[in-house]
Amino acid sequence: MRRLIPIALFLPLLVGCGNRNLILTVDILSFLDPASKVVNYNIPVPIPSDTVEVFSDSLSLLQGVSDVTRAVAASMDIAASFDNTSGAATGDFLIYIASADSSDPFTTTPIADVPFQLLAGQVTNISTHVDASPALAEALTHDKAQVGVRVVFNGTAFPIQGTETLTKLTATVIMKKDL
Amino acid sequence: MTALIALCGLLAGTAEAQSLNARRLGMGGVLTSDVGDQTGSNIAFRAVPKGTGGSGSIPLPLGIIQYIADHPTFDSKDSTFNIYEVANVFLNPPLTIKLWQPEEVTGDISVFVAQDSLMVDLADIKRVIPEHSMRIGGVYHIGGFGKSFGKAFVQMGPLVHVQNSLELSDELRRALRDAVPFTGNTRYGLTDEGRAQAAIAFQAGYAFRALHRPSAGESDSPDPRRNHTTALYVGAAPKYLWGIAYGDAHSVAGVTTGDTLFAGSNPVTIDMDTQNRYAVLGGEGGSGSGFGSDVGTVLYYQNFELGVGLNDFGSQIKWKTTVRRHTYDDATNEFTTTVMARDEEFTSRIPVTATINAAKRIGRTTIAADIVTGDLRSSMHAGAEFWFGMFALRTGVFRDQNKMIQFAGGGGYRFGKIGVDLALSTNSRNIERERGGELSASLSLY
Repeated sequence: MRRLIPIALFLPLLVGCGNRNLILTVDILSFLDPASKVVNYNIPVPIPSDTVEVFSDSLSLLQGVSDVTRAVAASMDIAASFDNTSGAATGDFLIYIASADSSDPFTTTPIADVPFQLLAGQVTNISTHVDASPALAEALTHDKAQVGVRVVFNGTAFPIQGTETLTKLTATVIMKKDL
Repeated sequence: MTALIALCGLLAGTAEAQSLNARRLGMGGVLTSDVGDQTGSNIAFRAVPKGTGGSGSIPLPLGIIQYIADHPTFDSKDSTFNIYEVANVFLNPPLTIKLWQPEEVTGDISVFVAQDSLMVDLADIKRVIPEHSMRIGGVYHIGGFGKSFGKAFVQMGPLVHVQNSLELSDELRRALRDAVPFTGNTRYGLTDEGRAQAAIAFQAGYAFRALHRPSAGESDSPDPRRNHTTALYVGAAPKYLWGIAYGDAHSVAGVTTGDTLFAGSNPVTIDMDTQNRYAVLGGEGGSGSGFGSDVGTVLYYQNFELGVGLNDFGSQIKWKTTVRRHTYDDATNEFTTTVMARDEEFTSRIPVTATINAAKRIGRTTIAADIVTGDLRSSMHAGAEFWFGMFALRTGVFRDQNKMIQFAGGGGYRFGKIGVDLALSTNSRNIERERGGELSASLSLY
């Protein structure tokens, strides 16, 4: 699935800005289908490092402007909520980002790894801020970038059941004109 | 084209002509029959005898030295390129020394995008977006030459009239100026009305003293400004206008958002419609022709001066114009141009400029005020000049084209027939429409 975010509309704002920046903040989550924000997980028996893919998507953040702009810095804010109905686990919330050249964002090294702990009947909220990531800036410099979120469970009490909801996915790109 | 006009309008702001006469500027830019534009604003001034107050001015453009030493780059690839600084070079030509200027428009631009939300924070750039429409224009009589034959005279010279008015819709203005988020099912538009015409004016006139009541002081000085004479001077100068070129454009453009701001690959509907009319010497329509006039009168009573001058009174030019309409179709992403008319008769008008001035001379002191109202704008000036031997002190205040009160002061020293004048003055001739200060210098001819 490919999402188009028409950043080119804002290109005229850069003209004449001299050495100033265009700080673009994109609420990526708002562009996703509601269904892809929510994942129901169910791990009935122990399986080492069971993995749940939350979502994988291709975003056209800088379409049309990459020829005349360059991303000088980028950051990302991610938050998620686990409504764990049964079982217990520790785990890792992994964020991947790759340029469109990559066939699968999950083949790259995650740009962030957020550990969490789930207990039965509890809601657990996690969040992280990925700042000054070279991989993120590199990916966002291209017309397209691939973003993936994966959750790895290490269960301690089974069955592990619940719902994971992606609550925030925001990218901030600082651009300069490159005429 | 609309975008170009809009950009020009944005950059142009509302400019007012820069005075290089330091004597006049030191008096707040006020006009009298012997300070400032002696013959251009009131044709009757031509008949008034030359007084002790001066007869002309030679500007000293010292600001060029400052500009050469420090000027903005015009290279858009340069990291220091700032289009607002470049615009200020044109709005406020570097002929006077800039003592202080508004802070440079700078700062980062922030844009927040979500599928159904868009907010643009232009930060410092908001300063260049006016609260109301952006208007620029004026009638400019540029140079020319002439000859006097006693009370009569003939002259010819170019005349240029430029006018542009750019209006943002309330929705677009709030979004850009106040960072109000863009919303769905809303049109963000602008309208632009631009007109430019150029002509050569061939003028013959006559200015004379229509009323005269002698005074005792007249034997000492023929200057009615200071000899307590009662005199009324009247002048009129009809002119033939040979139209060189005419063009106007009426443009409407906008973008209309859908139910959801960024629902697909084509999130907005764009509309653009421009109709322009033109004629040009040697091209379509050819030259134009018309008539106009300058009229004026000035009364002196007990060393009090009251003048009324009307320039380009009733001035019109007839043209044979071509009318074209350019319409953008968002569905096909193409412009369609339609010729609406050829050789259509059209009469353009040169806006009248009215100057009302009053002055009172008390000994060697002059106190004066004027109101100048012309195309798109009016301005008011008031000032005074005090002579102490060969040394003059001046002060003044004026309301400029941006409706801001500005202040001026200066001094001068007279060496026989020539005087050297300096003036300090504030102004808002910049894209930020904020107060700056300048030092100007000129020579006065007595």
